[in-house]
Amino acid sequence: MKNTIRIERAILDITQEELAKRISVSRQTINAIEATKYVPSTVLALKIAKCFDKKVEEIFTLEEDD
Amino acid sequence: MLPTLLLPHRFKIIGWILFIPTLLAGLALIIADFEPGFELLLTVFSFFNDDLLSHDSASPGLVLTDVTATVLGLIFIFSGLLVAFSKEKIEDEYISEIRLQSLLWAVWVNYILLFFAFLFIYGVAFLDVMVYNMFTVLIIFIIRFQYTLYKSRKTNL
Repeated sequence: MKNTIRIERAILDITQEELAKRISVSRQTINAIEATKYVPSTVLALKIAKCFDKKVEEIFTLEEDD
Repeated sequence: MLPTLLLPHRFKIIGWILFIPTLLAGLALIIADFEPGFELLLTVFSFFNDDLLSHDSASPGLVLTDVTATVLGLIFIFSGLLVAFSKEKIEDEYISEIRLQSLLWAVWVNYILLFFAFLFIYGVAFLDVMVYNMFTVLIIFIIRFQYTLYKSRKTNL
């Protein structure tokens, strides 16, 4: 699963740390999601999308092998 | 996923304070071949006490015995559990994932090691294997989990 978190962060000009704080997770979690090493739960995906004021599908998209 | 069966984060610090000295003392006791040169004699309630040399006494009752290994073992298990199963400062779903993966990894590694110990170690030396094996799952898990956390903390950007 791909995501555009890094781009969205750049638009809002916030660090991983700040995003992590806003949705109360650890910085490692944001880092792992951005690096596509970790697929977040639905709850967390919804929180991230809400933080960027977008729909989940706009942030997260399926890849061929998903 | 909500982390369950975990203790509050503050127990982790208490755990580390007890765990490190106990681990070192335990290693020292092993190096000293379980004869540290002193005895910690105490009358304890024994549910089952089987002496290898004499064939009497197996019934529950009070016995006077050296409790050095007992005390170390108890503190080790207690503090090891605190270190292993206290929450991280932020215990979110990814940290829980790392935790479970590390636990799985530790059980695999522990039993692979035990498998080869069974295969290659015989006689009285196998008793040592049994002693170590009582603690290795916990130790391997703690090392693996802390290492993975450390690695994930280090990755930047």
